[in-house]
Amino acid sequence: MKAPAINPAAWPLTLKVPLLVAVLIVSATAIASNIVLMRISETQKTNLQQLTGSYLDGLSTALMPHVIRKDIWETFDTLDRTREQYEGVHVLNNIVALNDGSVLAASDPRAFPVLSPVPEKLTERFPNGEELVIDDVDGRAWTRRTLKEGNVPVGSIFVEIDISDLLRERHEVLVTLIVVNSLLTLIFVAFGYVMARRMVRPLSVLTAYVEHVREGKMELIPPRYMPAPGTEFGDLFRRFNAMAQALNEREALAARLAEEEKMAQLGRLASGMAHEVNNPLGGMMNAVDTLQKHGDEPEVRTTSLDLLRRGLTGIRNVVRAALVTYKGVPDPHHLGRRDLDDLRFLVQHEIRRRRLRLLWLNDLPDEVSVDGEATRQAALNLILNACAASPTGGMVRVEARREDGALHITIADDGPGLPETVAALFEEASTDVPPPKGITGLGTWTAAHLVARMNGRFQVATAAQGGTRLTMVIPLRREEKLVAAA
Amino acid sequence: MAASSGTVRFGLTPVFLDTDIQLLAALERYLSDRLGRPVELIKRRTYQEITLMLLSGWLDAAWICGYPYVRYRDQLYLLAVPVYLGKPLYQSYLIVNADSPVETVAGLRGRVHAFSDPDSNSGFLVTQHLLATMGESPDTFFSRYFFTYGHRNVVRAVSSSLAESGSVDGYVWEVIKHNGSRLVEGTRVIRKSEWLGFPPVVCNRNARDVDAIKGIAEALISMNEDDLGQEILAALHLDGFIRGSPPLFDGIEEKYKFVRNVFRDKT
Repeated sequence: MKAPAINPAAWPLTLKVPLLVAVLIVSATAIASNIVLMRISETQKTNLQQLTGSYLDGLSTALMPHVIRKDIWETFDTLDRTREQYEGVHVLNNIVALNDGSVLAASDPRAFPVLSPVPEKLTERFPNGEELVIDDVDGRAWTRRTLKEGNVPVGSIFVEIDISDLLRERHEVLVTLIVVNSLLTLIFVAFGYVMARRMVRPLSVLTAYVEHVREGKMELIPPRYMPAPGTEFGDLFRRFNAMAQALNEREALAARLAEEEKMAQLGRLASGMAHEVNNPLGGMMNAVDTLQKHGDEPEVRTTSLDLLRRGLTGIRNVVRAALVTYKGVPDPHHLGRRDLDDLRFLVQHEIRRRRLRLLWLNDLPDEVSVDGEATRQAALNLILNACAASPTGGMVRVEARREDGALHITIADDGPGLPETVAALFEEASTDVPPPKGITGLGTWTAAHLVARMNGRFQVATAAQGGTRLTMVIPLRREEKLVAAA
Repeated sequence: MAASSGTVRFGLTPVFLDTDIQLLAALERYLSDRLGRPVELIKRRTYQEITLMLLSGWLDAAWICGYPYVRYRDQLYLLAVPVYLGKPLYQSYLIVNADSPVETVAGLRGRVHAFSDPDSNSGFLVTQHLLATMGESPDTFFSRYFFTYGHRNVVRAVSSSLAESGSVDGYVWEVIKHNGSRLVEGTRVIRKSEWLGFPPVVCNRNARDVDAIKGIAEALISMNEDDLGQEILAALHLDGFIRGSPPLFDGIEEKYKFVRNVFRDKT
């Protein structure tokens, strides 16, 4: 498996901030530690120079007469006695050489026998006549001094010094620096993490509320989460709330528009409905007259009462449909088969007036779980539109069915097709689309808006022989899908 | 004479453990108590200084080596001789470093040698004589030699490898060894000389009848009868002192004369 690509830009702030802090502190402490160690090294060298200097001063004074006399024993005796006595300088070897480069005596005669030449590896350590040479790797320092009587050199002293104590001291300082700096880094990183979390917390609150918006819940951020005004997040949160407020207001406006549109529609339908109520009245009056005159005859009575019943049923249907439209469906969370069928009574006058044919194919079960009122209003708007768009004598088809967990209502007409702006409304089917300017097309916009609110969409097709076929697809609520699947 | 001025001056050469201050203080106290007058112990670095101070009359008595005694026998008078291991005799040792491969005197040729003192019998004359019998001298035989002016220093020089061999007083070497010092562990004896007269206590022949000087001889000879004296003798690993007689030192005198004649013949 391929390791996921490292993309620092995608890392959360709570990681980036402490990491940045760690990098900065480690760099800073590394530089500071280096300086400290360099200073210690310099100080130690200066100290060592002073110590070896005074050591050599004392030793030279003690040795001088013996070296002048080339007295092997006294030279050795002096070296042997002073080696242990001098505190501060841990002398490993003292070698006294004569001018000819031979050893007069050394504190360790086995390593540097009397009369033997001073080893080259020792003289090579002072290529430029230095007095002190430090070898950090071996933990040794070498110092030399030429013994002079007046201006005449009589010999030299070579001293090998153990400086492992100094190196250990430096090492201890290094370890202390590393430990302290690591602890400091950890503390600062923890601090950075806490600070970053605190700073980022409003962001996660905001993210949660933005997520609510995506789910369709337009909630304002409550005051308890609200950072102080004037801060970056405070301003951002207030802007978010202002935006949420504006969206809520627009939603309310849209709802009001839909309501007003409904009322306007009822108004427009009112005369048609009056006709529908009035039409049977003539026949019914005749039936009543007939009953008065010939009510004794059973045949006449049966026929008249039947006529009266049909007339009253027609009136009841129209009145009921109007009432439902005005007051709302009995169960707003569901659409009943009859709720849809009612629409026929509302549009039948329009159909008749324009000499249209209405093909009504309602295959819905008794109830489907969609917003009954919204669906009904959207369907009514679209059917009326289709009627308006159809030429005289044309056919309007309304099909309703449940399919794939959604309610499909198709309205087809023989009209010339949808204007581009209206088609665009259906394509978009969004609650964000503002109502068009002017009253024209408000019904279409309302339908599109209502369908969008129910997370529905439209399928628009133009038939080959002309005419428009518009299908609202409204997803069923979850419970219904589960029942359907079972 | 010094003795007449009150304080008795008693000279010491580094024939024995001259570094032991406590021992010297005890000896000084013992002699002062016995003589009933203050005794001052005088130390010098070399035998020669003590010998000259004695000959010049600046010292009342001195514990010197057998070698200066035989050289100035006509001017010096024997007061007492220490008894070591039951006899007034001791040996000279030739020592090498414990790690040295040398086993014989001949093997010392061309090496660095440590002597004690040019006026010491065990620390110089015995080896000088040995070389002379081989037709050699320290100058021809050794690559380099030096004097440490102390038998203990010879042991130090050899054990530290400053010198590859050394001539040392056998009595001193044995006492250091007996005292448990690790110093002698670094050395090995390759030759012991014949038994020779132990370094004696002497006075200027002119002062031999001075009471104080006679008192010194008596105090030394009766040392083992006194508690403090016994302590001192025990520390010195000596049995006591006897009067002794000059022929004890004939062996040393023979060697002295032999090397002197060789030297004379050469010149």
